[in-house]
Amino acid sequence: MTGTSVAPRERGASYQWSARAFGLPAVLVVAVLLYLPFVWTSVISFTEYNGLGSPEWVGLANYREMFDDPNFLTSLRNTLLWVVGTITIPVGLGLLIAVMTYDMRFGVWFRLPFLITYAVSPVAVGVVWSFVLQNGGGLSQVLEAFGLPGAENRWLLDEPMNTLVMIGAWAWQQTGVNALLFVIGLQSIPKEPLEAAKMDGAAGWRLFRHMLWPMLRPLTTVVVGLALVASLKTFDIVMAMTEGGPGRSSETLALTMYREAFVNSAYGMGSAVALFLSVVTFIAAITYLRRQLSPRHEW
Amino acid sequence: MRIRYSATVAGLAASALVLAACGGDDEDEYGSGGAEAPGSLSFYTDKAAWEPQFLQVSDVSENALGLTLDFTGYSEADQYSAFIRQSFRTDEKPDLFTWHTGSELEDLVAEGLVAPTTDIWQQSIDEGNVPGDLREHFTIDGEQYCVPMNAAYWVMYYNTKVFAEHDIKEPTTWDELVAAADKLVAAGQTPFYETNILFSFVWFQTLLAGTDPELYAALSSGEASYTDAGVVDVMNRWREMHEKGYFGDPGDQTEPQVQLKNGTVAMINFGTFLSGQLNSVDMVSGTDYDFFIIPKVNPDLEQTPLIFETGPICTAEEAQNRDLALQYASWWMTEEAQTTWANARGDVSFNPKALINDEQLASLNQEAGTDGYQLLERYFEATPTPVLTAALDEFSAFVTNPGDPMPHLETIQAEAEAYWSDQG
Repeated sequence: MTGTSVAPRERGASYQWSARAFGLPAVLVVAVLLYLPFVWTSVISFTEYNGLGSPEWVGLANYREMFDDPNFLTSLRNTLLWVVGTITIPVGLGLLIAVMTYDMRFGVWFRLPFLITYAVSPVAVGVVWSFVLQNGGGLSQVLEAFGLPGAENRWLLDEPMNTLVMIGAWAWQQTGVNALLFVIGLQSIPKEPLEAAKMDGAAGWRLFRHMLWPMLRPLTTVVVGLALVASLKTFDIVMAMTEGGPGRSSETLALTMYREAFVNSAYGMGSAVALFLSVVTFIAAITYLRRQLSPRHEW
Repeated sequence: MRIRYSATVAGLAASALVLAACGGDDEDEYGSGGAEAPGSLSFYTDKAAWEPQFLQVSDVSENALGLTLDFTGYSEADQYSAFIRQSFRTDEKPDLFTWHTGSELEDLVAEGLVAPTTDIWQQSIDEGNVPGDLREHFTIDGEQYCVPMNAAYWVMYYNTKVFAEHDIKEPTTWDELVAAADKLVAAGQTPFYETNILFSFVWFQTLLAGTDPELYAALSSGEASYTDAGVVDVMNRWREMHEKGYFGDPGDQTEPQVQLKNGTVAMINFGTFLSGQLNSVDMVSGTDYDFFIIPKVNPDLEQTPLIFETGPICTAEEAQNRDLALQYASWWMTEEAQTTWANARGDVSFNPKALINDEQLASLNQEAGTDGYQLLERYFEATPTPVLTAALDEFSAFVTNPGDPMPHLETIQAEAEAYWSDQG
């Protein structure tokens, strides 16, 4: 237009510079807010650091101390209980509710109560369930009133029962949203193959096993993947209900990290636990998703 | 071409804006934690709920000094500790902030982050505003740092109606206290409050200090071991008290003041700040509740050990308004400031000249200063943080399932050995 001509190669280079310049803000945000903290945490995990002065390099000492600590192993056990519990109970129950109600008339009214609990924050769930589960609390009173066993149980005080009942409280909140996600998945399955299967006599368990379950797989992968990651970093509900106690009997890895970094001001050890937790979460998520999303994978 | 050049410039400008946003302001006019004028000092605390009381003192200081507190309260202690530690790495160092004595203060002093207050202490002691004994808890390597924010004594609160109902008088010896507890248990009444959250150390503190105050002090300084016979004996006594049914449910999350009001427990071993909490649930001092100094467990002790706690107000060495903040700290210890503060809080004061409205507290304030009592720092402040954290966990587990104390003591001792070996 201006009469000057630009060689195609030169024009391409110029476009690239423009594109890079526009991309720079986003790259900076990611680098400053995501990569930098991760790298900094990784470095600190090899130091002894109380948040003041300069970190002192101690090599792998924090990691050695971490794995030698029986409390860390309790924390690891509890975190595994959370992973297994979260995947089996809220996800399993969510799937069951979805399958039973997705094509039912007025099914939404059955699912709605489960979904309401999702609007409550985990901390509020923890506080409310603490009232229910504390010694002589709501649950014990109901059991006693009906003459049922268990009224004397110290739900939040004895391990591993305290972790198990907290998983129950978590399931109370999470089941609804899992059911909703599964319903969305079920409703997006094409009708034709299902009707063909039904005409061929498939119903009940057979219909679920051979038709619904395989066709639901992409969504199941997402739901289980999210539950896996969420359970590995369980923090808020335990903090609200037991603070990881009594003693450290219901502590999870996320609480151990918090305790070391922010209660003891041992930022080196806190960072070591954080890095361990991040690596475990990353490996678990990647391994699971790769396996599930592989086209050759068969159920 | 010009358009493309402009696009590149625009992109870089956007990047610059992002960096500028990350960088924040260069400097505000007075620069210190949001303080609005030189007459306003930035003040940070983890006692957010005490804001009205701090502001009452701030009103008085405005007239007395022309200085007010620009209050920022945190309600979560761990978050607050991390915030203060990080603030020293920024330009926004706090003029005044509340902190802890012991290892937490030593950490800050070791890095030269806190302004010394040696002259202020000497002047306050000379003027009779603070007992000289208190100074050692604020002394590191011969210098004083910070000033006491508050003081509280740990005493035994009781529900007067429950005592009257069971015809129990205020015990003056340990045997009388045990007899009162036995009488209450026989009548189906739980004698003592106990919790497994945070304050799980309270009865350990009472029993050890009351039995062997020297061992109590030696444990705090790392000169004694948690597995020493004296400590084990105290734990076994504590276990026996559990076995006799002296303690309430440690998992009951009902607030202590409500438990005392409802008669769930007859007595609460607690700091004098409980008075304010009891008043808040409409209990009247001297009518609905009262307290007595916990008798010494070992009758052979010459003095009765009395646990006290105090938390410091400190000034950052490089605070924008350092000198004004130190002036405020000096005023904080005066009779005028402490009378306002103690009455606003419904608590005692470290300043013996402060005029306490509550008769029971005023009487305790006088009595605590006499020769019959040996003041011992609360376990929470006297114990280094990593050891304390481990101890709170272990005592929490012990009160929940009272049994063999040795595994608990060994765990705490392992943490103590790691800590003290690091200290050289």
